[in-house]
Amino acid sequence: MRIESSDQFKAYHAEARTRDEGLTRKILVCCGTGCLATGAKEVAEAFVHEIEDRKLDVEVGLGVKSTGCHGFCERGPLVAFLPEGLLYTKVKAKKVPEIIEKTIIGRELIPGLLYKNPVNKERIAAYDEIPFYKNQVRVAMRNIGRIDPTDLMDAVAHDAYAGLAKALFEMTPDEVLDEVETSGQRGRGGAGFNTARKWRSCKSAPGDRRFVLCNGDEGDPGAFKDRSIMEGDPHSVLEGMIIGAYALGAHEGYIYVRDEYPLAVVNLQLAIIEARKVGLLGENIMGSGFDFDIQISRGGGAFVCGESSALMRSLAGMTGEPRAKYVHSTAKGLFDLPTVLNNVETWAGIGAIVHHGGAWFAAMGTDKSKGTKAFSLVGKVKNTGLIELPMGTTLRHIIYDIGGGVLKDRPFKAVQTGGPSGGCIPEELLDLPVDYEKLTEAGSMMGSGGMIVMDDRTCMVDVARYFIAFLTEESCGKCTPCREGLKQMLGLYDRLIEGRGTDGDIEKIEALAAGMQLGSLCELGKSAPNPVLSTLKYFRSEYEAHIKDHACPAGICREITAFEIMPDCDGCHACPKVCPTDAIAGTKKELHVIDHEACISCGACLDVCPTDSIRTFPKIELAAEEVV
Amino acid sequence: MPTLTVNGRKVTVGDDVYILEACRAAGVEVPTLCNFDGLEPWGGCRLCVVDMSLEKWDDDWFKLVTACNHPVEEGMTVVTDSERVLATRRVVLDLLLARCPDTPLIQRLAAELGVDETSYEKNPEHTDCILCGLCTRVCDHIGVSAIASTDRGWGREIAPPFNEPPPDCIGCLACAEVCPTDHIPFATSNVKRTIWGKDFEMLRDPKTGEAVITKAQAEHFAERSGVPMTYFETSDKSKRLEVAKTFEKLQVVK
Amino acid sequence: MAETPCVDLSKTEEILGSYPHEEPSLIQVLQDVHRAYNYLPCDVLVRVAEVLEVPLAKVFSVSTFYKAFSLEPQGDTIIKVCMGTACHIRGAGQLVEELERKLGIGADETTEDLRFTVKTVNCVGACAMAPVMLVGEKYWGSAKPARMEKYLAAGGNDEN
Repeated sequence: MRIESSDQFKAYHAEARTRDEGLTRKILVCCGTGCLATGAKEVAEAFVHEIEDRKLDVEVGLGVKSTGCHGFCERGPLVAFLPEGLLYTKVKAKKVPEIIEKTIIGRELIPGLLYKNPVNKERIAAYDEIPFYKNQVRVAMRNIGRIDPTDLMDAVAHDAYAGLAKALFEMTPDEVLDEVETSGQRGRGGAGFNTARKWRSCKSAPGDRRFVLCNGDEGDPGAFKDRSIMEGDPHSVLEGMIIGAYALGAHEGYIYVRDEYPLAVVNLQLAIIEARKVGLLGENIMGSGFDFDIQISRGGGAFVCGESSALMRSLAGMTGEPRAKYVHSTAKGLFDLPTVLNNVETWAGIGAIVHHGGAWFAAMGTDKSKGTKAFSLVGKVKNTGLIELPMGTTLRHIIYDIGGGVLKDRPFKAVQTGGPSGGCIPEELLDLPVDYEKLTEAGSMMGSGGMIVMDDRTCMVDVARYFIAFLTEESCGKCTPCREGLKQMLGLYDRLIEGRGTDGDIEKIEALAAGMQLGSLCELGKSAPNPVLSTLKYFRSEYEAHIKDHACPAGICREITAFEIMPDCDGCHACPKVCPTDAIAGTKKELHVIDHEACISCGACLDVCPTDSIRTFPKIELAAEEVV
Repeated sequence: MPTLTVNGRKVTVGDDVYILEACRAAGVEVPTLCNFDGLEPWGGCRLCVVDMSLEKWDDDWFKLVTACNHPVEEGMTVVTDSERVLATRRVVLDLLLARCPDTPLIQRLAAELGVDETSYEKNPEHTDCILCGLCTRVCDHIGVSAIASTDRGWGREIAPPFNEPPPDCIGCLACAEVCPTDHIPFATSNVKRTIWGKDFEMLRDPKTGEAVITKAQAEHFAERSGVPMTYFETSDKSKRLEVAKTFEKLQVVK
Repeated sequence: MAETPCVDLSKTEEILGSYPHEEPSLIQVLQDVHRAYNYLPCDVLVRVAEVLEVPLAKVFSVSTFYKAFSLEPQGDTIIKVCMGTACHIRGAGQLVEELERKLGIGADETTEDLRFTVKTVNCVGACAMAPVMLVGEKYWGSAKPARMEKYLAAGGNDEN
């Protein structure tokens, strides 16, 4: 059936809700990429089989849904139960029969599957009581984890396309623009440009043909919120784009998805096909007379294609080389026509903004950064995963209250935000409220929302080098400062981490950084120095140790770090098992010894030692010992 | 017809003009490498950076932009010799000097800005290619596109497809002519021309025996312009002599 | 071009038939071609250039610019080690080294018997499971060098 009027949409929505309510009990199995990696698919299948075998779907009105990412990837595979609001963590397929017996039929909890708070060791049953979820406010990710992303009706039952219906039947395009302006929403891809302002500047560009694009090239390593949205609630992206197209008078749209996200491509494509069938996309949407269709374009594997002008070149079948944006793409973008490009999370928020009103969105967040933001909290933190919070939440709250603190309770060193264009924020700034301005002031930036927690076993020189090495591979090569500058910068860093640094290297790095910031053509080159400058700002002493003492204080840089087992070793024999070069000798219950010739300083032994008996020290001390 | 100020000098230029042209109109030289009159500006070398302030901005708020492709606006202020302009140009040339330490053009330009030796690691492999893209851009411009950039980042190179003699090349030598560092080798005689590893038959003037252009080039232009091949088979000199002969028939009318 | 073996071009014609014959289709076509042949054979690139009416030099330029494409035949199973930031600090480098020890090849190399290709890839977006590696289509989260044999033995099918 095709929806051809406002009333027909309402009827479809009602039908969807009835169907959803008919499932008196639901089992939601997280099938985001993270949980899939730990066996979620088998768990979902086990549930389906058990329920069919026992005929529980018919008798009890029990349904199983494979949903998108619940966000708490650390504890996957995750299974949630409604209406109880119960969450089971680390569920294995072989536990499923027991879960059906005890929890579904017997209505009993299985304590071993409940979330255990790492701080006080308490077990928590209710989804909404778990600190990770309790503090979240989900707007862009509102439906992820609740719906089956491949089922349009399920999405509609949860208000998908309600915003679109309102826009098409109750608002003019200009009223939609006004609503988005009221919300104060800023782009969620990293630059944080005001959404309404971008739309208005495109709308005023001359010409009949314009494009609405979605940037799904989430290239920041450490960020995966866009992936989760595209995989877990593709209709939220489609709805946002259709509303935007309506406001702008555009009839053609593209979603550019990076090559590394195959499931996102599949789920988006399915969503497009379903939406078209029902008349929510394509010609005469919902019978309103408005035409708009979307195509998917897959990236070829290039971080630079997250840059808007490079993305448009890639869409046009060319290499991803950016151009100077003295003429904005809102005037001349894809195929030299007026184009609006927004991030996945930005589009995902639009439907909710139009449905609930711009004022609702603007009531959350800070003065200049309205609404909520998705973050991927990863690295050396206990509760890694995906969260959405109001802007203005402090870093401390995110890392400690939601994240549960640093992994293994090691000392906190820094949190890196903003990907390769961002910077490292040290402990003294942990009470910083997270918003665009505050992060930039601290020498970092919001970027895509990746937050990488680092402990004392992280070398900040190595971190800066990591980002430079990453960008060296990703530079398109068009402009001199970026192409040549990154290569030279990497060479300078290689010297530092290998203990060959000399006096004046830091100054050389700073001068090159300035040249790259001023001279590069696009933001990749311009912001490449950010991790360099921020680590120099807050961790200069580490750089100096590398140069003056040929030492890596964190014990990470292999060429200059040696390992030693201390006398308090209890001979548990865990370390020889993980040593890749068999450099550790020792019998059980006896002190173990590392052979420095064979040791490659990889640190695997230190990571597994249960008594913390392995220490690192500068390799040059070995040579000094020999001399003595 | 906007009026702007370049290094304190007021100048009025035509509509749709880039800052580079305005600088020249004001008598101010801005160094360029990847710019070529007649080709769309590219903005890749970054040598032509200048400081620019728009009328609506605060007087001391400037943005560093490339002169070759930034449009001029009424009331714009341009400064081509500020500290940071010169510092940025120095970094660009310093980096190019590291890449191409033996290339005379780069050595000269760098020396002009006070960079005699590069501060960076020198390229262990010799090359004169500064990746200005002029060769590929001119090839695209004449509608051939026989060569293009390959790979990306530091590994980027200008090459024919599969690093083999390019099937589409017409041997016109435009790429070699436009290359600022003479990086592209070629050999040409009355009989044969070789470039990018591809050999070309030459069309020779039937009267003088001189090579005019390659057969492939003639065919390319004949096809696009509808002009007969015979036109391309005669040298300019022969064409001029033919036309001159027609003057013999002219008479002065009193 | 004379070096590479002849390929069956009928798959190429099928792929070309499903896209508009113009430049914007180029990358999508190359994606499908790469999936069908496990690399980009040069005969196919020549045909693609012809049909989409894109200069061969530009097709080659695009083929070499994007990391997704290989112009050499790849192994039956592609192993991808994620080098994202979270994976980097949780030991991705050790995984690559272990693969080198086990298979004798480094990043972007293929075993002699064409069984495996190892690639280091950009962030695959499963950062909470760092370090992540893919063997074929199967994701392995919290991967450990000591378990490398298990990952390789399990093969590339998502069914395992």
